[in-house]
Amino acid sequence: MSDKIGVYVCECGPNIGEAIDIDKVIEAISPIEDVAVVRRHKLLCSGDGQNFLVDEIKNEGLTHVVLGACSPKDHEITFMNVATRAGINPYLIQVVNIREQCAWIFKDKDIATKKAIKYIRAGIERIKYHKPLQKKELDANPDVLVLGGGLAGIEAALALTQTDRKVYLVEKSADLGGSVMKFEKLLSHQGFNLGLIKEKVDKINSNENIEVLTSTNVESVIGFFGNFEVTTKPAGEEAGGKSFIVGAVVVASGYNWFDLESTPRYGYKKIEDVFTINDFGRMIEESEKLKLSTGKEPKSIALVHCGGRKELGYCSRVCCMQMMNIGNYIKDKYPGIEVHELHSDLCVSSKNDQKYYEKSKEKGINFIRMKGVEVGGKAGAISIEYTTLAGDKGKLAVDMAVVAPGMIPEAGTPQVADMLNVPLHPTGFFKEGHEKLNPVGTTMDGIYVVGCAQGPKSFMETLIQAQAATGKIFSHLIPGKKIEPEVKVSEIIEAFCTGCQTCLDVCFYGAITYDEDKGVSVVNEAICRGCGNCAGSCPSDAIRPKHFTTTQLYQEVVEALRE
Amino acid sequence: MSEGFEPRIVGFFCKWCTYAGADLAGTSRLQYPPNVLPIRVMCSSRVDPVFLLTAYLRGADAVLIGGCHPGDCHYIEGNYYTRRRVALLKNIFETLKLDTERLRLSWISASEGPRFAKVITEYTENTKKIGPNPAKNKIFI
Repeated sequence: MSDKIGVYVCECGPNIGEAIDIDKVIEAISPIEDVAVVRRHKLLCSGDGQNFLVDEIKNEGLTHVVLGACSPKDHEITFMNVATRAGINPYLIQVVNIREQCAWIFKDKDIATKKAIKYIRAGIERIKYHKPLQKKELDANPDVLVLGGGLAGIEAALALTQTDRKVYLVEKSADLGGSVMKFEKLLSHQGFNLGLIKEKVDKINSNENIEVLTSTNVESVIGFFGNFEVTTKPAGEEAGGKSFIVGAVVVASGYNWFDLESTPRYGYKKIEDVFTINDFGRMIEESEKLKLSTGKEPKSIALVHCGGRKELGYCSRVCCMQMMNIGNYIKDKYPGIEVHELHSDLCVSSKNDQKYYEKSKEKGINFIRMKGVEVGGKAGAISIEYTTLAGDKGKLAVDMAVVAPGMIPEAGTPQVADMLNVPLHPTGFFKEGHEKLNPVGTTMDGIYVVGCAQGPKSFMETLIQAQAATGKIFSHLIPGKKIEPEVKVSEIIEAFCTGCQTCLDVCFYGAITYDEDKGVSVVNEAICRGCGNCAGSCPSDAIRPKHFTTTQLYQEVVEALRE
Repeated sequence: MSEGFEPRIVGFFCKWCTYAGADLAGTSRLQYPPNVLPIRVMCSSRVDPVFLLTAYLRGADAVLIGGCHPGDCHYIEGNYYTRRRVALLKNIFETLKLDTERLRLSWISASEGPRFAKVITEYTENTKKIGPNPAKNKIFI
């Protein structure tokens, strides 16, 4: 059966009708080969217009339809649905944009008409090479793997629970709660009640929809959105692993601390009574007493911000407030102790932080802005040498120093990233799907990264992210509903593929694998997003992005160049 | 400038940024020359340099690729690949003694309607100035 193309020009009220001479368009288009009918309509997207199109397609026995109308952004989906209603494949419709990119930009009706003819011709020549594409539906498992049982993981696991959805919460250490649980006293001084976290942990432990796997590592995650096969192994053991299927993965694997010993600048581990935030937290957790190595109470304490910032090349954002909290803790409990805070840029960004800073100053904490600092001397006579912003040298003698190490990725992060096939940021943290537009997603559909695994975060930001990922999963992975992967994916023409594997390198989604036996690349259609980068890179023209094939685009080029 | 010369420019615009920017130019009723025929692609990285070369050798007076700004690609990094490919193609143009002024890559976001109109206007004006494509019908691939 030969093609019977119907061309319909929408007047879009006066928008196109008055700017373009539609009768002339019809006259010019009608003689084109395979064009069976060319008609105009007042408003094709209206209910009346849609019914008109359905009737036309059925009555005229059309195989393809080209619509001279608005931007495909507006009504491509509307017209695809019309095609389905009329019994033809929705991909045998081509919407040609003669409104936004023609009628509205050319004041001269003659020019606009000529351009409209050119655009529509290009659409007609293109559609002759359209292939019907079938929408696919895949079963999706609604269960979720939450990787990491810290603040972010707990929040996500609990928020995700819902009937018909099971959550696997895997934590490599023996307990849920993560790093925050170690510093109850320090955090409660900041108004952060760890009791609430403990309550959440209890809720998780008693929730039958959550399976908690502590002291467990995730060994492998293979698959794609809606269908990831997970295997786990108990830490330090060979047997006793589990395997299960989930539809989505939330990575909440947390962070670690910059190793202050790696630079001599802070005298850490060389000079007694030089501590990290953690050491300090542990000390007051154990005895609630501030003690020097001599057993005496310190008289003056220097709080040194930005530990390792130079080496790391980024600001960890939360340590300023942590340090200020320590300063306040000391001043509240031991008003007699001198406290100096040596900071570079002070990160006081939330709406409450500025007040806290001002109060800290009122309490007598001495804030010194510096651009370089060195901790030297010896126990009992620690000397802090610093350079101010103006370049002046300064010196402080204290008997205790607490340094804030920056936050770094958790040790196993590269392995986890490799296992999940998601990229890392140059800093070593997980890379979000898009810095601005997809802050908790990743390049892999169905894999979300939340909390400090993705970069230094405050408690609040961590919880926001965990809740955001939960929202994404709730709206995309609905129990009992199938998922529809992208239809316009790339396909490999095996006869042309030389097996050079260039496409494997350029695909950000890891959608292409290499078939060793056949010596050709293979596209996983459930992962492919249809960007076409592989086709742009293929030296053998062996990749065909469906609906954007070389032939289809080439027809448009030819029409663009027609005299 | 050749008298009455109206250049024919082939434009490949990514669906997410530049094509949407072109739509915005239309919605804002900005006026620009009618010399570009827009071809919509999912991502600028879909544009095989061979398309550009073919368009040029078949007589396009200029070719234009429009993509998302660096860092804003809907497909994470597609536009970086495009940038490299266009840079490479410019090299090839130079080697073949073709006019690199007839090849342009522009970052135009979905919110930059005025920029879209400006790029098209400037590019068209410039192409008018340098005249018709001399390679037309001389080389075939």
